[in-house]
Amino acid sequence: MAKERSYKAQKVIDRMGKKLNRQIVGSLVACVHCGNCTDSCHYVLANPGDPTYAPAYKADKIRSIFKRHFDWTGRLFPWWVHAKSLYTDEDLEELKDTVFGKCTNCRRCTINCPMGVDLATFNRMARGLLVSVGVMPEGVSVVSKDQWEIGNQMGVLKEDYIDTLEWLTEEMQMEDPKSPGIPIDSMEADVVYSINPREVKYDPRTISDAAIIFNAAGEKWTMPAEDWDMTNFGLFSGDDDLGGGVARRLFEKVVAIKGKKLVISECGHGYRSTRCEGPNWAKQDVSFPMESSVITMLEYIKSGKIKVDKSKNPGKFTFHDSCNNARSCGLTEEPRELLRLVCDDFQEMYPNRAENFCCTGGGGAMSMSEYTPRRLKSGKVKADQLKATGAEIVVTSCHNCVDGLTDLIKHYKLDMKVTQLVNLVANALVIEKPVEVPVEEVAAPVEVTPTEVEALVLKGYKILVADDEPDFVTFVSTVLEDNGAEVVKAYDGNQALEMARKEKPDLMTLDITMPGKSGIEVFEILRSDDELASIPVCIMTGKPELRQLIYERAVKPPEGYVDKPIDEDSIVLNIRKILELDKGKVK
Amino acid sequence: MFDLEFVRGPLHDGALAVMTIVYIIRLYWLTRFMAGKERQAPTGRGDTNSRKGFIYSWGNVGMPWAMESTRTKLFLYFQFVIFHLGVTAAILLMFSISFYFKDTPIPLPLMLAFRIIIGAAFVVGVIRIIRRIGSKYIRAISSPDDHFSLWLLTAWFLFAYMAAANNVANGEWKLLTFFIMGSVFLVYVPFSKISHYLYYPFTRYYLGKSLGRRGVFPIKRFR
Repeated sequence: MAKERSYKAQKVIDRMGKKLNRQIVGSLVACVHCGNCTDSCHYVLANPGDPTYAPAYKADKIRSIFKRHFDWTGRLFPWWVHAKSLYTDEDLEELKDTVFGKCTNCRRCTINCPMGVDLATFNRMARGLLVSVGVMPEGVSVVSKDQWEIGNQMGVLKEDYIDTLEWLTEEMQMEDPKSPGIPIDSMEADVVYSINPREVKYDPRTISDAAIIFNAAGEKWTMPAEDWDMTNFGLFSGDDDLGGGVARRLFEKVVAIKGKKLVISECGHGYRSTRCEGPNWAKQDVSFPMESSVITMLEYIKSGKIKVDKSKNPGKFTFHDSCNNARSCGLTEEPRELLRLVCDDFQEMYPNRAENFCCTGGGGAMSMSEYTPRRLKSGKVKADQLKATGAEIVVTSCHNCVDGLTDLIKHYKLDMKVTQLVNLVANALVIEKPVEVPVEEVAAPVEVTPTEVEALVLKGYKILVADDEPDFVTFVSTVLEDNGAEVVKAYDGNQALEMARKEKPDLMTLDITMPGKSGIEVFEILRSDDELASIPVCIMTGKPELRQLIYERAVKPPEGYVDKPIDEDSIVLNIRKILELDKGKVK
Repeated sequence: MFDLEFVRGPLHDGALAVMTIVYIIRLYWLTRFMAGKERQAPTGRGDTNSRKGFIYSWGNVGMPWAMESTRTKLFLYFQFVIFHLGVTAAILLMFSISFYFKDTPIPLPLMLAFRIIIGAAFVVGVIRIIRRIGSKYIRAISSPDDHFSLWLLTAWFLFAYMAAANNVANGEWKLLTFFIMGSVFLVYVPFSKISHYLYYPFTRYYLGKSLGRRGVFPIKRFR
């Protein structure tokens, strides 16, 4: 009797037939099981003795289905060639664990395969098939949903995005009243600058740094008011429709505002998705040039549009190649050339360029918290690589890598920091200030030391920190207190509510998973309570997959959202942003 | 049941015909899948392109320094070279006996050349069998086809080595076994992993073309 197959399993098999192209079929039939790829994978190196991490083993999970249904030997003699079909939803879950949880699609095995088998490509295909039947890690589902529905993968609302750009413009104009700030939706700009939503949420400094550079170069540039996200979760989820849709939105926006060139901020997967795969997924030839901001910044320096002073960036630097940039787009030399122009002490990492190891945060791994322990373990290879450079600062041109490397540095207790080229270029900028005409009487400036300036930032604000991890509460509290805030602490949901009622804080940070009442319940109660509803809330969680539970509530969404791990700068930036935007004033 | 005339003639020719037909069908099957279209403008280094990419990719087989996986395991790479030279030599030996040296012994220098190459390939075959069984990584990915193909070829090398003298008086069974195994090999090839060389030009062409256009191939390496 024929074995019964689940609806989802049948769909995966049916859809596989439609996804196969000559490149993928070639890769599926050509493997000779020589095992040469084994040591090229960081998962294997970090898990010696476990063959289930070997690229060929992982590939066979997909290959076996192909053989069983599309290849003649596998159809006739399945046991002879290890051809195997999918029958149950458990089979799909097992496949999910392999294609999402044991591979970052970094393509290192591909360039080490004597046969040219491109595992990353058909691993992505398998992800897409599973996604098409709803089998995927929760984080992938959440992020994909946000990108489909809101237009960017972190669910940044248009008003928040515009608010952030305006806030940054105000900050820039406080420093330099003549600064044009960040132009939004300017027509016929020479450069349309697209960014990663992570920059809006966690790292707005990269946006202002880029703006400072564009303005210093005298560039006629703009940022789109909407459809600005150059990242594309379709690359990670394997969903070509999402990939095409996201790419098309951005391409159409550039055309609509008559932009002459699209510049993509430093992001490995964003660059690959927009510059390389986007036109393929969107089935559309793109009429304007696209380039990485690394190339733009390099051109500014080389052409003399901006001047830099490398002594402004002291320290020992190394460079980490993003897999997508290096192994899929050939962006390896320009970042190095640029880095050498903005710092003195550059130490190469080995192996490097196309042979570099993954930061372990690639392939969407940062959004799949269920695989975090596995990811961190596999990061041993990268951590050793970083350590061997002896560098104090690792530079990378990818936001995913920034997060991946930051995690590894923390986990393996490396004394290093991560930064991006845009930050270094902005820091090294030499801006010739106009000569000031001396006036006869100038009021003596109030002397304020940098430490005092920092301390004033949150002075006068009372902030409630609610989290069940005492270490995290201590860390956040210390950072906030150092910046002048008065901090109230709560270690569970009930205590958080009690303190909110009693202390009436100006802002509350809230963990989602807490004993007693969960963060979600606390949040809903807060929002439904007239007295407490106006307290701005910043969610701080280590479980990004639970984010939708907060945003799906029928109440006003939280004012801020931050994924753990989080560093000092991000805490202050996010809190400041919420307080200033929400209250429209500084105490 | 089989005589030498039969195995060197109709059996060998028949097996060859089966292999050719199945290969043609196999290639037709592969080309029925549409090739994915690349719309992106070239990226990466300006000193390379699609053409350079696929030439580099095809030439990869002769450049052990090009990939970390071969560069750091030269012993395995030389095993690969010897093994594949052995296959080529054994096939040439089969054709030589069938078409040129039917009734005459193979000249001594040629016979020695065949024996050295095929003998070395046999040794490599044995090493590969041990590796396939002994390494937990390789064992985990090995199917019956992988094992059988390797055993078949290694045994074939042994009989090719023995048959290289093409001396009927010294034991017709060696020649008979060599030809019968060779015919089995020819018929089996298109259905097995041994047919990988049929796909090699395709996979490496598409990978090289794509990564050449994207400025990745030829891979640049600095130490």
